[in-house]
Amino acid sequence: MTTVIDGRRMEPPEPLERTLQALDELAEGDDLLLLLHCQPHPLYTLLEQRGCEWSDVLRADGTREVRISRQRG
Amino acid sequence: MAPALSFEQAPPISVPYRFFLAAPCFGVLAGLLLAWSGGDALASRWAPQTLALVHLIALGFMLQAMGGALLQFIPVAVGGNVWRPRLVAAIVQPLLLMATLLLVAGWVFGNTAAFAAAVPLFVLAVGGLVAVVGDALWRTPASGMTLWTMRLASGGLAVTVVLGCLLAETLAHGLALPFVMLTDVHLAWGLGGWALMLLAGVSYHVVPMFQLTQPYPLWFARGFGPLLLALLLAWSGRLAIGDGAWSEAVAAGLWICASAYAAITLWLQHTRRRQVHDTTSRCFLAAMLSLLGLAAAGSAALMWPDVAADPRSAVSMGVLAFGGMFVSAITGMMYKILPFLNWLHLQRLGAPMSAVPNMKQMIPVAAMAGQFRLHVAAVALVLAAVWLPALARPAGIALAASFAWLGWNLLGAGRRYRAARVRILASVAVVRARAGQG
Repeated sequence: MTTVIDGRRMEPPEPLERTLQALDELAEGDDLLLLLHCQPHPLYTLLEQRGCEWSDVLRADGTREVRISRQRG
Repeated sequence: MAPALSFEQAPPISVPYRFFLAAPCFGVLAGLLLAWSGGDALASRWAPQTLALVHLIALGFMLQAMGGALLQFIPVAVGGNVWRPRLVAAIVQPLLLMATLLLVAGWVFGNTAAFAAAVPLFVLAVGGLVAVVGDALWRTPASGMTLWTMRLASGGLAVTVVLGCLLAETLAHGLALPFVMLTDVHLAWGLGGWALMLLAGVSYHVVPMFQLTQPYPLWFARGFGPLLLALLLAWSGRLAIGDGAWSEAVAAGLWICASAYAAITLWLQHTRRRQVHDTTSRCFLAAMLSLLGLAAAGSAALMWPDVAADPRSAVSMGVLAFGGMFVSAITGMMYKILPFLNWLHLQRLGAPMSAVPNMKQMIPVAAMAGQFRLHVAAVALVLAAVWLPALARPAGIALAASFAWLGWNLLGAGRRYRAARVRILASVAVVRARAGQG
C-alpha cells in the first residue's frame, strides 16, 4: 500500500515532520509517496540515517514525486 | 537510490548566524550616516556620502546576508558540499567586514589610501567566497534552474567585484579609465548579475516552498538567467564600443526582464490556493512592487531626457533598488531561513520530534510584523527625503531603528536556538543514562 503525503500546500517543515512520522508507522512492503514543489535535500540525509531507499521524479507540472521505502534486510 | 547528499556536511549553524547578525549592524550604520549627513547624502548619486551609504547596504548588509545564506543554502537546497565552511566563514567574513569599513571610510573621510587598502581585502574575501561557492555549485549531483541561476550569480559577483576594484584603484591612483561608464557597468552587474540573479534563483526554490505558490513557469525559470546574462554582456559592450541607440534598447531589455520576474512573482502570490499573509510574503510583495517602481522609473528616464538629467531620479531609483527591493526581500528570506535552520539543526540532535520547538516560535510573529512596518515607513521616508531634504535626518533615524530591530529579532532566534539545544541535549543525556542503567 502506498501512503501519499501531499506537501505542496504545507509550510516547511510540516512535510518533513509528516514524512518522518509516517515512516515510523510504515508496514513491511508498503511505501510512501511525498509530493512537493522542491527537492527536499535535508530529508534525504534523514532518510539515509533511517536506512530508507528513495527515488525522485520531476513531473511536467513542476511537482517532485519522492517515493520512499524501507531497505530490505 | 538517489545520490547520497550532504546535509551531514552542511555548515554548523554558527556559520550563517555570524553573517546574518553582522548584516543589520551595517544597516544601522547606513541609517546613522544618513541622519548625520542629512539631505547632502541624497542630493546626487556621486556624492561621497551617497556612495558610502550605498556600499554600507550593498556590501555590509546585502553581501554579508547573501554570502551567509549561500553557505547554508547550497547544502540544504541544492545538495552541494561547501569546502571547510567554518574556516571559510572565519576568514571571509572578517575580511569582508574590514574591506567594507575601509571603503566607506574612504568616502566619508576623503581618504584615498583607504580605497587602495580595501582592494586586496575584497579580492581575498570575495575571491575566496566565489571559489568555494563555485566549487560546491559545480560539483553537486543536483540539477535544476535554481542551481544554474546560482552558478550565474556567483560569476556575476566576481565580475562586480573586479569592476569595483578597478574603480577603487581609479579613485586611489587616478587610473585613466572611463569612470562614469565603468560605474554604470559595475552597478548593472552588482544589482542585476549578482543580486537579482541570486534572488531569482533562490526564489524558484523558496517562493513555492515557503509561500505555498505554484512553481515558477519552467519557460521563465529556464530563460530568465541566460537572458539577463546576455543583456548584461551587451550592456558591458558600452565599454568597448561606446554608447548608441542600441545601448538604450539593451537598458530597456534589462528593465523588461527584471519586471517580468517581479510580475510573475506577484502573480504566483496572487494565485496561490492557500493564502499566507506572513511577514515573508509581505516582504516579497514590497520587494516586487519596488522592483516594478524601479523599472518604471528607469524606463521613464530612458524616454524623457529631462527625467534622466535630474540627479534626484537616479537617487530615488537607488532607494527603490537597495531599500525597497533587496533589503525587503533579504529580510523576508532571513525571517524564514533562520527559524527553518534552527528547526533542522535541533531535529538532528536525536530528540523526539515533539521536543523540537515549532518553527513559528523561533521569532515572535508580532516582532517580525512590527519591524517590517517600520522598514517600509523608513524606506518611504528616505524616498520622500530625496525630494524634501528636511526629511533626511528623521529618515536616517527610522532606517537605523528598523535595522536595529531586525538585528534584535535575529539575535532572539539565536537565543531561542541555544536554549532549545541545551534542553534537548539534557533530555537526550537523561534518556541515554536510563537506557544504560536498564
